[in-house]
Amino acid sequence: MKTAVVAGLLAATCLSPAAHADALDDIISSGTLRCAVVLDFPPMGSRDADNNPIGFDVDYCNDLAAALGVEAEIVETPFPERIPALMSGRVDVGVASTSDTLERAKTVGMTIPYFAFQMAVTAKDGAGVASFEDMKGKTVGATAGTYEAIALEEQVKEWGEGTFRPYQTQADVFLALSQGQIDATVSTSTVAQANVKTGNFPGISVVGSAPFDTDYVALFAMREEYGLLNYLNLFINQQVRTGRYAELYEKWVGGDLPDLTVPGTYR
Amino acid sequence: MFNYTFRWNQALNALPQMLDGALVTLQIALLSMVIGVAVAVALTLFRLSGNRVLRAIAATWVELARNTPALFQIYMAHFGLGAFGIHLSPYASLLAGIAFNNAGYLAENFRGALKAIPDTQTRAARSLGMPAGQAFRLIVMPQMFRVAFLPATNQMVWAILMTSLGVTVGMNTDLAGITQELNARSFRTFEFFAIAAVIYYVIAKAVTLAAQAFAWRMFRY
Repeated sequence: MKTAVVAGLLAATCLSPAAHADALDDIISSGTLRCAVVLDFPPMGSRDADNNPIGFDVDYCNDLAAALGVEAEIVETPFPERIPALMSGRVDVGVASTSDTLERAKTVGMTIPYFAFQMAVTAKDGAGVASFEDMKGKTVGATAGTYEAIALEEQVKEWGEGTFRPYQTQADVFLALSQGQIDATVSTSTVAQANVKTGNFPGISVVGSAPFDTDYVALFAMREEYGLLNYLNLFINQQVRTGRYAELYEKWVGGDLPDLTVPGTYR
Repeated sequence: MFNYTFRWNQALNALPQMLDGALVTLQIALLSMVIGVAVAVALTLFRLSGNRVLRAIAATWVELARNTPALFQIYMAHFGLGAFGIHLSPYASLLAGIAFNNAGYLAENFRGALKAIPDTQTRAARSLGMPAGQAFRLIVMPQMFRVAFLPATNQMVWAILMTSLGVTVGMNTDLAGITQELNARSFRTFEFFAIAAVIYYVIAKAVTLAAQAFAWRMFRY
């Protein structure tokens, strides 16, 4: 009886050699870092003419992989599928412009902010929307599950008139706007500028800014993986202090570099 | 390794909202069936008619509806028509897409059902002095509905499940739309999707059982 227990314990120990390895160990020993990146969200993530992933988030993932000394694997993940991708173990880290809301942080582990967005209003020409306030009573839309979609829907409810429509991808939002299915949208200003500039969506213009709070976005990983989250926080810090953050910002966005710190508080 | 702690209380708080969404889902499915049956009867008559144009219209509709994905049909009802300046709301796009799909499949059901009705039925009716139209309406069509009824309930179930594709055209009031939104806010994907799956299952099962009970009462010889 006793020997059976000992044998059982021994077997259990031998069969689970990875029991104490955390996600950071797993990534390093597997030699691959799998990043969830949203690829219809230029300039953060998109595809070039040869269908290769490009963008700020793609470069950021590559930098992270280089720091870890592993290969980067970009896993294309639409906005609503970021968390299922993480929970089902298809990705290690989300580099997916994810707003760090407290509600979401109950489920996933958020790092310190690695990027910050300002919000802009883009309108269909001739829809009579020249500012954020003009959107009152109109049909507006945004990408489902994003910070701006949640804020805009609440605003529409507060106005008490008009309609809000969530679309599954950023491209569908601009397509709907270009066709006149919706009159205006709120998106991050970087995304708005990049999409208007492509010329894929005729008849739309950025008309002003939206008075939403700055949208700080974080990397995310499994909530209990402190080792990995700790590493990610340091990595973000290093990206800023080595000037790489500014360099990537200049490459993909341009203009004034958003401050990632919040004055008057820690973290 | 699936590393996730289920937290049901938060998700269950949203149950009333999700049930409201389920009503919208059921409403769209029912409406799409009513429209689908009406169009399918028309398509069936087109196919029986001697007019080559009508036959071509019916054949094209059935081919497209049955051989392209429902997602494509719904997406086209929204963004495809939108490109021509025809703007359907997400609700209307979803309804139009599913009704289009239903009509194609149901027309095939009806065609099969007609084949199962012996010619002698028509001949007997005609020999009683009924004109061709009346014979079809009073004798053949009721039998056609009877034969096609249970297969058509499959389509009803399919219609309920197809409503979940509405999220691609901005639908946010049906069960899938509400579930997606709750998920986006809280990231509690698995709880919300599990609840939604149960609700879809219950609706679909209830429809099947109700149809069987109805058929048992109505179609006994």
